[in-house]
Amino acid sequence: MGEIIAYIAMGTGWTAVMTFGSAAIGIVLGLPMLALAQSRFSVLRGIYHAIVHVVRGVPTIVWLFIAFFGVGQLGLTLSPVAASLLVLSIIAAAYMAEIYRGGIQAVPAGQWEAANALNLDRFSTLRFIIGPQLFRAVSPSVATQIIGLLKDSALVSTIGVADLVFRAGIMTQYNAHGLYMFGIAGLIYLALSLPIAAFSRSIHAHITRRYALA
Amino acid sequence: MTITQPSTHMTNTLEGSSAMTRPFVSALAPSKQFGEHRAVDNVSLDVTKGEVVSIIGPSGAGKSSLIRCLNLLESPDAGSLSIGDTTIDFDSGKPGKAQVTRLRRFTGMVFQSFNLFPHFTALKNVALPQMRVHRRSRAEAEERAMEELRRVGLEAKAGAYPTQCSGGQQQRIAIARALAMDPELMLFDEPTSGLDPEIGAEILQVMRKLAADDMTMLIVTHEMEFARQVSNQIAVMVDGAVIEQGNPEKIMSDPEQERTNRFLSAVLGR
Repeated sequence: MGEIIAYIAMGTGWTAVMTFGSAAIGIVLGLPMLALAQSRFSVLRGIYHAIVHVVRGVPTIVWLFIAFFGVGQLGLTLSPVAASLLVLSIIAAAYMAEIYRGGIQAVPAGQWEAANALNLDRFSTLRFIIGPQLFRAVSPSVATQIIGLLKDSALVSTIGVADLVFRAGIMTQYNAHGLYMFGIAGLIYLALSLPIAAFSRSIHAHITRRYALA
Repeated sequence: MTITQPSTHMTNTLEGSSAMTRPFVSALAPSKQFGEHRAVDNVSLDVTKGEVVSIIGPSGAGKSSLIRCLNLLESPDAGSLSIGDTTIDFDSGKPGKAQVTRLRRFTGMVFQSFNLFPHFTALKNVALPQMRVHRRSRAEAEERAMEELRRVGLEAKAGAYPTQCSGGQQQRIAIARALAMDPELMLFDEPTSGLDPEIGAEILQVMRKLAADDMTMLIVTHEMEFARQVSNQIAVMVDGAVIEQGNPEKIMSDPEQERTNRFLSAVLGR
C-alpha cells in the first residue's frame, strides 16, 4: 500500500510544475495583457477582448488536444509537458488579466488624479500608487485562480503527463481499486490547495495590517 | 486681476494685463465640452501673484471643471492658458505630456475627496511625491514633509495611515502634500464640502494662514463668509460662464446680475 501511495504521490511533481509554472507565467503575462486592455487605442482593446474571449470560450481540454495533436500536424511537435504548460499558461494569463482589470477599476479615479496633480510620472504612479493598491485588491482572486489552475492541471493527464491523476489511473488499471487510488489523488490535491489558501489569507492579513485598511 | 466673460471669442484681456503687473495665471477663453454639455464656456480669467480668487455659483455651473482645466486634469477644447512662463494653446489640439508636466509644476491641487494614498502614512504621502518628482533624498523629503505637517498642525499624525485620521485631518494632510511640492498656485476644489461645518472650519483656518502668507489661490467654495473675508476677487459662475466678478463686498451686498442675487439669496437664506 505504501508503494502505491508513493507511486501516486510522485505525480505531485508534475502537478506542481503545471500549477505553479502556469500561475507564475500567467501572473507575469497578465500585465502586458492588462496594458493592452487599458490601451488608448480601441483596436488594441478589441484585440484584448478577442483574445480573452477565445481563450476562455474554448474548453481547456480542447486547447490541450489542439496544442498536442493539432500543432503537430502543422509540423511543430510539442511534448506533452510543453503543450500542457503552454496551454495552461495562456489560459492563466487571460484569467489573470481579467482579474487585474477588475482590480484597476477598484482603485478610485481620485488616486490617478492625485498622482497626476502631483506631477508623478507614469512609472511612479503605477509603481508606487496604483500597483500596491491593485496588488491588494487582486491578491484574494489570484489565489483563488491558482487553486483553479491546480484543479485544471489534472487535464494534462489526458495527453500523457504523469501527474497525480495520470498515476492514479495507471494504478487503477493494475489493481482496479479506483475509489482508493483516486481518493489518494484527491487528498493530495486538497493538501496542495490548503497552503495556497493559507498563504493568500496571510498576504491579505499582512497587507490589511500594514496599510491599516478595513 | 480681471475675470472677464468675453462676448466673443476674439475678446481679450490685454487691457487688464497691461496695467501694472503681468498676471501669474491667465486663462483666455478656455472651453470644455462633455458630450452635448458645455461645462466651461469661454471663461477668461487673470490672477496676479498673491491674489485669492473664489469661484462661487450653483452646483453644476462648471466651477470644478474650470479649476480642473487649470491644472489640466481636464484638457480644454479651446482657448489658451498661461501659468508663470508656460503657455499652452488648446486651439491647436491636446497639449503634449511635456507641456502638461511643465504647467503642473506651478500648481498644487486639493480635492473635495482628499485623495490621500491609503497605503502610505501621512509622512510618506507628503514625502514620496517630492522624492519622485523633485528627486529629493528621503531625508530631505521627510524633513520637508514634517515641516508641512507642522504647518497644518498635524506633526503628531505623521505615522498614521489615512484611515486612522478624521476627514478634516486627511484634508490637512492633503494640503501639506500639495504644499511640499513648492506650488506657486494652489487650487482648491470644494475642500470643505465633504466635511462637517465644524471640521471644515479647521481647513478654512489653514487656508486663511496660506492667504496671509501670500499664496496665490483659486478656490471653488460654498463657504460664502469665508470667500468674502479671504478673497481679493469673487467670480460668480452659472451655466459654464462667469456672469459677474469683482470685489467680494460689492458682489455679496450689491450684485449687478439678477442671477447672482437669486443665488446669494438662496444660499445665504435672505
